[in-house]
Order: sequence, then C-alpha cells, then structure tokens
Amino acid sequence: MLRRLFTTYLKFIQIQILSQIQYPFSFLFDVFTNGISLLIFFLSLSLVLQRFDNVGGWRLGEIAFLWGTAEIAFGLMDMIFSGFDPDSFSVMVRQGTLDQMLLRPANITIQIFGSRFILRRLGRIAEGLIIFTISQVLSPIVWTLPRLLFYPVVIFSQILFFGGLFIAGSTITFWTIERIEAVNILTYGGNEMISYPMHIYPDWLIKFFTYLIPLIFINYYPALFFLGKPDPFGMPAFAPFLAPLAGLGVFLASLWFWKFGLRYYQGTGS
Amino acid sequence: MRLFLKILRLSFRRQLTYRTATLAGLVTNLFFGVLRASVLIALFNAQPSVNGLTVKGAVTFAGLTQGVIAYLSIFGWWDIMQSIEKGSIGADLLKPMNFFTYWLAQDIGRAAAQFVTRGLVLMIAFGFLFQITLPASPAQWLAFAFALILSGLVSFAWRFIINLAAFWSPNAIGFGRFAFSLTWIFSGFAMPLRLFPDWFQQFCAFTPFPAMINTVIEIFLGTLTPPETLQALLLQAAWFVGLSILSQFILKAGIRRLVIQGG
Repeated sequence: MLRRLFTTYLKFIQIQILSQIQYPFSFLFDVFTNGISLLIFFLSLSLVLQRFDNVGGWRLGEIAFLWGTAEIAFGLMDMIFSGFDPDSFSVMVRQGTLDQMLLRPANITIQIFGSRFILRRLGRIAEGLIIFTISQVLSPIVWTLPRLLFYPVVIFSQILFFGGLFIAGSTITFWTIERIEAVNILTYGGNEMISYPMHIYPDWLIKFFTYLIPLIFINYYPALFFLGKPDPFGMPAFAPFLAPLAGLGVFLASLWFWKFGLRYYQGTGS
Repeated sequence: MRLFLKILRLSFRRQLTYRTATLAGLVTNLFFGVLRASVLIALFNAQPSVNGLTVKGAVTFAGLTQGVIAYLSIFGWWDIMQSIEKGSIGADLLKPMNFFTYWLAQDIGRAAAQFVTRGLVLMIAFGFLFQITLPASPAQWLAFAFALILSGLVSFAWRFIINLAAFWSPNAIGFGRFAFSLTWIFSGFAMPLRLFPDWFQQFCAFTPFPAMINTVIEIFLGTLTPPETLQALLLQAAWFVGLSILSQFILKAGIRRLVIQGG
C-alpha cells in the first residue's frame, strides 16, 4: 500500500520535473535569479555589519549559520510542499481543480503533493548552501559526532514544521476560498524570524513563538548547541533537542486538520 | 488630461475594493516592520548614532520602507507583461492615448490608493509600537511630499521598462524578478544606504535606485541640508525624465516585434 503510494508520487514528480527542464537555459536562469534575489538580503546585512560587528552579540559567521540552515530547509520544504502552497492551493479550490482530483481513484494527499514540484526552488537551496559555507569559513563549527548526526534532524524538523504550516494554511481555504495572507506571517515571516538570533525580538513576540507556536526550537535553540553558546532564556538543558518534537507536532496536527477539512469540503460549485 | 484623470480615478476605486486583501497585507507588512526594527535596534546596540543615522531614525526607516512596499509595488508588478502575453495589449495600443501615459494614469491611481490604505495606516500603527522621528517643519513635510511623488514616478518608469522585456521573451518573468531584486538592495530598501560601506553608496549614486526609496527616507528623517534636499529632488526628476525617454525607445523596438495571435 505505502509502496504503491510512493511509486505514484514518484511518477507525478517525474512528469513535473521533466516538464520544467524542457527549456534548460530558461530553467537555469530562473534558478539563478531565484537564488540571487534572496542572497541580496544576506549580502545587505553583511555589508552593513562592517560598521557594527555584531547583531545582538552574534557575529556574521554565527548569523550565517542560522540563516543558511533556515534557507536550506525552507527551500527544500517549498519544493516538496509546492502543491500545498496556500497561494496556489486556494486557486485549485476556487477553480474546481481540486474537485476533479477528488474524483480520481488515487490518494488525494499524494495527488496534491505530486501536483506541483517547483524545481526552481533549487535556487533557494543553493543560496542557503552558499550562506552555510560562509558560516563555516567565518565561524567554523567543531563537528563532533552528535552534532553531525543532529544537523540533518534539524533540517528535517524545519521541513516538517513549515510543511505543516503550508498544509494548515491550505486547509483553511476550504472554508475561506480566498487564501489567508496572515498565514504568510507564520511561514515567510517565520523563516525571516529564525534567520536572526531570536533574543533580539520584543518579549511578547518571543513568548508567542515559544509557547504558542514553537518556532524558537527549530533553529535558534539547535544553533546554541552547534555554536556552543549559552542560553539567555534559561530553558532546561534539553531545549536544543526539541526541534524534532516541534516539527513533528506541527506536521501531525496539520495533517489531522487536513483530513478533517477534507471531510467537511463540499466544493465551491465552480 | 480629463481622460487621464478618469483612468486614474477608476484605478484608485478598483484598488479600494480589495478590502480583506488590503487588511491582510497591512498586517503582514507591519509584522515584518517589527522584525526589521528589532534587527536594527540590535545592530545599533545602544550606540546613539552611526554615520548620521540615529537608532530612532533607523526604526523609522523600518516603518517607512514597509509602508512604501505596496505604494511602489516593490516585490513585483507584472500588469503590462501579462497584457503582452495575453494579447490584450493590442486593444491598449489602439486606444486614443499614449501607451505610457495610459499605464501611468493607472499606476498613479493604484499607488494613491495603496498609499492611503497600506502606507498611511501602517505608519500610524507603527508609531504606536515604536518611537519614530517625524519631519520637523512644514518645509520638510513639503519636500517629503515631493520626494514621495517623484519616487513613485521613477519607480513606475523602471517597472514599465522591466515589463517590456515580455516583447522579447515568453519567459520574461524570470528576468523581471531579477530586475526587481536589484531595487531591494541598491535603493536602500533592505538596509539604510547610509549604513553601507562608502564605496557601495558611491556606486548606488550612479543608479536610479536611490531615487526610488533612499531620497524619501533621507528627507523624512531630516538627514539632508536644504541645498542637498533640493539637489536630491532634482535628481529624482531627472531620473524620471531619463527613464521615461529610454522606455519610449524600448517600447518602439518592442512593438515592432509584437505578434498577436488570434483567438
């Protein structure tokens, strides 16, 4: 059963990828511009830092670690969860494309996953890798075995975390039809937020993104562990390792919400 | 001129109908404003002023730049590109009005609506969250108003040119995204230009980008002397005229390539 779902998924993705690299030059150009346009913001910060030296006590190399990790994970998520991007999913609800899919004899969740796979996001992943490399040049991390093993877990947790938010944001459109732009605060805003050391934000914002939406645990706390920095909030010592719990928690809750939404969904009559 | 005003008014009213989208955009812009202000405050780290910019000025910068996002369509504006791809440009070219002026009227209407709903409202909300600097004299307010209008015009001319790329390539949006991203760094949108290294600022001064955002900010914050202010305003006007003339040459070359398919 699971294997059949997976082969169906791979078939969908294969079609998507082939169609996108049909015009290789245009595709590569898109990947390039996608990466450059995002790199610009990191570039701005690094140029400005020549006058300042640090942000909230963190040097450029250390921020690059936060930033690069967040970008690699978000780029991967944005590629894998393209189908659940609320911006495009709401269009499927409005135009009735979703109703067509529901009629097909295949798992609906897999179909949505396979309906879009934006390969252009490789630009963002590459941008993340470049920034990560910069971080290792400026402030190299001592890669002990636990750190080496934990790093992929952190990336994976972030993918699940933001992927979950994409799914939840799309599910809301069952009721609202229109996309809810406020969800972008959590996804794109969340990505921006975790690119900086989170203790620089106002107190109420930190509390919100610790207790209500556990954003602080997916990048900031793991970074404290990798960079060997003290915890300014005095959380328990296991706090840096809560990332998989936060990621999996958000993802599973969203998946449950999605199933619930599907049962409610009646179509828009398009 | 009457036609120009009519198009402008219609475009203004059309923009005001998207109420929920406006509110959602406003909240998002405000949220990012809080994040960017926090980063700047952390950067300054209790230094009162860096290269003529105070912390309060930097925080005001965060609000101002978030406030002009919609007014200047900083993250993308593809209306003309879409009209070229769909072929509706054919009808627009037949209109008894210059193509550039027709779109200028539309854009002024759109920008005016966005200025009120997304700019003014955002700045007021931002003022409740943070301590911000305001222009000190009526003359400074007036200079700011001129700078803001001119920035809209320069930005329009630049966006107009970017959109014309669709005449040459069916996949011009990739090029367009790249062209838009240049604005984010060179105009002083991502970070105040004053905080960049001197060589970088000197380079930017040769481009039209500071005329889109940086001039507005500097005048609002009062970091320019009166003669400098006048010079900056004239430079903005010069960039608008220059880019507009350039756009006409590109438009002519583009129309010669235009093929509209029936259907």
